[in-house]
Amino acid sequence: MKHVIKALTLALAASLLMAATAFAAPVKIGLMCPLTGKWASEGQDMRNIVTLLADELNKAGGINGNKVELVVEDDGGDPRTAALAAQKLTTSGVIAAIGTYGSAVTEASQSIYDEAGVVQIATGSTAVRLTEKGLKRFLRTAPRDDEQGMVAAKLIKAKGYKAVALLHDNSSYAKGLADETKALLDKAGTKIVFYDALTPGERDYTAILTKLKAANPDIIFCTGYYPEVGMLLRQKMEMKWNVPMMGGDAANHADLVKISGKEAAKGYFFLSPPGPQDLDAPAAKSMLTAYKAKYNGVPGSVWSVLAGDAFNVIVEAVKSTGKADSAAIADYLKTKLKNYPGFTGQISFNEKGDRVGDLYRVYEVNANGEFILQP
Amino acid sequence: MEEFFQQLTNGLAVGGIYALIALGYTMVYGVLKLINFAHGDLFTIGAYLGFTLFTAFGLSGMVAGPGAVVLVLLMVVGLVALIGFLLERVAYRPLRSSSRLSAVVSALGASIFFQNAVMLIYGAKFQVYPNDIRPSYVLSIMGIDVPLVRIMMIAASLALMLALYWFTQRTRIGAAIRATAIDQGAAKLMGIDVNRVISLVFMIGPALGGVAGVMVGLYYGQVDFTMGWVYGLKAFTAAILGGIGNIPGAMVGGLLLGVIEALGSAYISIAWKDAIAFLVLILILIIRPTGLLGERVADKI
Amino acid sequence: MTVSRTTSYAGIAVVVAVLPLLLDPYWTDVFVSIGLYSVLALSLNIILGQAGLFHMGHAAFYAVGAYVTAIANTMWGVPVLWAMPFAGLAAALFAMLVARPIIHLRGDYLLIVTIGIVEIVRIALINNVFGLTGGANGIFGISRPTLFGFKIAKPVHFYYLVWAYVACSVLLFRRLENSRFGRALNYIKEDDTAAEGSGVNTASYKLWAFVLGAFWAGMTGTIYAAKMTIISPESFSFWESVVLFAIVILGGGSNRGVLLGAFLLIGLPEFFREFASARMLAFGLAMVVMMIFRPQGMLPPMPRFYKLPERIRCVTGKDGGAAAAQVGGEA
Repeated sequence: MKHVIKALTLALAASLLMAATAFAAPVKIGLMCPLTGKWASEGQDMRNIVTLLADELNKAGGINGNKVELVVEDDGGDPRTAALAAQKLTTSGVIAAIGTYGSAVTEASQSIYDEAGVVQIATGSTAVRLTEKGLKRFLRTAPRDDEQGMVAAKLIKAKGYKAVALLHDNSSYAKGLADETKALLDKAGTKIVFYDALTPGERDYTAILTKLKAANPDIIFCTGYYPEVGMLLRQKMEMKWNVPMMGGDAANHADLVKISGKEAAKGYFFLSPPGPQDLDAPAAKSMLTAYKAKYNGVPGSVWSVLAGDAFNVIVEAVKSTGKADSAAIADYLKTKLKNYPGFTGQISFNEKGDRVGDLYRVYEVNANGEFILQP
Repeated sequence: MEEFFQQLTNGLAVGGIYALIALGYTMVYGVLKLINFAHGDLFTIGAYLGFTLFTAFGLSGMVAGPGAVVLVLLMVVGLVALIGFLLERVAYRPLRSSSRLSAVVSALGASIFFQNAVMLIYGAKFQVYPNDIRPSYVLSIMGIDVPLVRIMMIAASLALMLALYWFTQRTRIGAAIRATAIDQGAAKLMGIDVNRVISLVFMIGPALGGVAGVMVGLYYGQVDFTMGWVYGLKAFTAAILGGIGNIPGAMVGGLLLGVIEALGSAYISIAWKDAIAFLVLILILIIRPTGLLGERVADKI
Repeated sequence: MTVSRTTSYAGIAVVVAVLPLLLDPYWTDVFVSIGLYSVLALSLNIILGQAGLFHMGHAAFYAVGAYVTAIANTMWGVPVLWAMPFAGLAAALFAMLVARPIIHLRGDYLLIVTIGIVEIVRIALINNVFGLTGGANGIFGISRPTLFGFKIAKPVHFYYLVWAYVACSVLLFRRLENSRFGRALNYIKEDDTAAEGSGVNTASYKLWAFVLGAFWAGMTGTIYAAKMTIISPESFSFWESVVLFAIVILGGGSNRGVLLGAFLLIGLPEFFREFASARMLAFGLAMVVMMIFRPQGMLPPMPRFYKLPERIRCVTGKDGGAAAAQVGGEA
């Protein structure tokens, strides 16, 4: 009975939306991103890229002759604001919403989009469970944490490290990755000599490093975000401690080396989907040139580029299905879209809405502080 | 044992910064009984102004020399003092005769305003100080590594605190500040211009915060617009720990808080570090309700 | 209560009741948020506004309630609204335990200790204390509440649930304010020592203020958990406590003021959405400006008048119903 009611309300909402979109010429696409708060720089990059793409699209005549209207809402990087932002987007009549960055923030908005029947494509949210709920219209252009954990454990084994120190920052994402890796390493019999969480947002991590040093690891795997990783690298060098350090995709940000200094970052390696500078797709190159011309800089990380990918696949779906309808878009993306040439490589989704394909690469920082894609 | 002493120096270095910021809280509290929640953001502003000045002058490398660092510090002191002065005029003076809590809410509003103003001016990204201004030399004393810049930082914090202590205890203006702190009405009757004293305090306190901001920028390199919130709360905790309103108390509280955090992460748990620090604070306050050096205030009847 | 007052209350009730008919789901949701914060701020008002205790850690009690609800619902399948009293009791018990040793602290010392408590609670939740709280992920999959067989899921359903709860809370707290208990709290706020001297057991009253405020905040946690269906530690940060604190002070400490404060502090940032990145800048400035223009808060409590019994009125020699004496109110 419950399912019937749910299906009926969904159908009703969908038909209402269809009725709304059939007459209104512009195709409304929502973007939910952190424009204020701790992750404001990520959100502002996301907005820049998507705005750029929408402007270009409209200049070229829009989708099948219809203009695209972008509706941007600030989620502040916190769940409660995100719930309101999602509510705002769904009521403004968007057919699909892009975003957002943090997994916990995305999760707070999922049910709202779902109940409103709007397609949601998350861009930086890698937590496994987001796509395990069976939501029909949820997709993501970001890879999943368990995939990354698998690659990380494999890499640690391949490099022959025997004693591993794991450090996370107690965020949903970083802890998930650390736990995933820990479970796999435990199974493989690799010794974990240290497992703890740092407090993000602080400046001084020498107390943690001193404690880490006493544990005597072969490798430190810090799954946290780049600001903390940068500080750790810098302070590690100041202690004249040469243990290698690796990280996850949250470390992939141009500011990492700015924070740590080139000398300290040299030899640091991390896993990540290919960053903006390594995207060899011609579309990515021209997009980055346009970005540079418009905003005088490059996007700080790959996550904002994934928002651009999300925008493009939505446009592609509307073009191909010929109608601006959420149900059709979700269905098209999950079943029909195959190997769409995105900025971050070819894009296909599976039934759950996860992106298919092995996205992770290993990057190493060279003496000039550049992130070099490892073969 | 080596690890213990290493952690002790780690804690003292962090604590020195807390103490320096705590001084601003304590001075303002001393004269106005106001918790200036915007103080942490004045610290952020100091850090960002320092960043602007260093990059504007193209200062980098040791060519710049200590003279240039001192020059930048002086300019930051001047600018942050001016902002502190304006803050008091605009946001606190109209509320001086109302309930203390109204001023606290005004301070919270000012804090949000400053934080977002910094974000809008400098962008949400991290800014990074030029990396080669500070000396990279590391001292090794009996197996304990202490970067020279840390020693310089602790020394600078201590020197500033002592100077401030001397200033409030031994100069005429200092006496006026103390008199205002004890009783504004009586101080006025004694011919002290209370408004000027309060303005002065609102220049000295934020200026010290600004200096702390530049020091954090120089040493840790990375500044961002939310840093004042984290440091501000820690410094407020430190000021209360030592007994708010009491200058030596702020020093003791700051250093102690830094050490508790370092030893807490070393011997108990890193993830629980802040909880441990707050727990110690609560225990100390249960035993000494007005902080370590705070005086027992008699109830007015 | 005078007639005009009753009509104005009825008027407000009617406005609140028909409002969702005019609002889209987004604004309905904003008003649900306003309602939730109103109740939380009302419960904080007992401690901060009535008893004058500097308490900046109310989110801790709210968190206890929300987590108890979430755990009871997801692990043992307790229906959400059934968990409400237990959430309240758990929060009250927690408040009793933590407030007891610190109740004698004064002013700002109490303030930092309550901040410490809310931080300790948050850190404990993040670190998955007792293996129950789900760490940084929090707890998800909390089921929607049902009331008499009706499933509450849409914003407009929550709107009526929350505002009915607000109405109950307002009525209750109004009674409380005028009770012996409420008057004792006011006395403590005005002059702690004099209250003690007049035989008011201040420590006990202060503790009960905490317990009662926490009980109500805990029950509100239930509704929050039901509304969000996912709760995580970041929803109960120090910042939430700061917002609640600001609502009470900005509102002025009366029940009407608290409602207005919640509307301003929770609703205003939504009006500023047009400013995008600058919206929090405008919000901060608005807070300062409002405080400067209304230092005593938007709507401070009005002086209270009590009708004296007949025989006393004869003694004072005044005639008619206008005779009144002011008891224990504040200007």
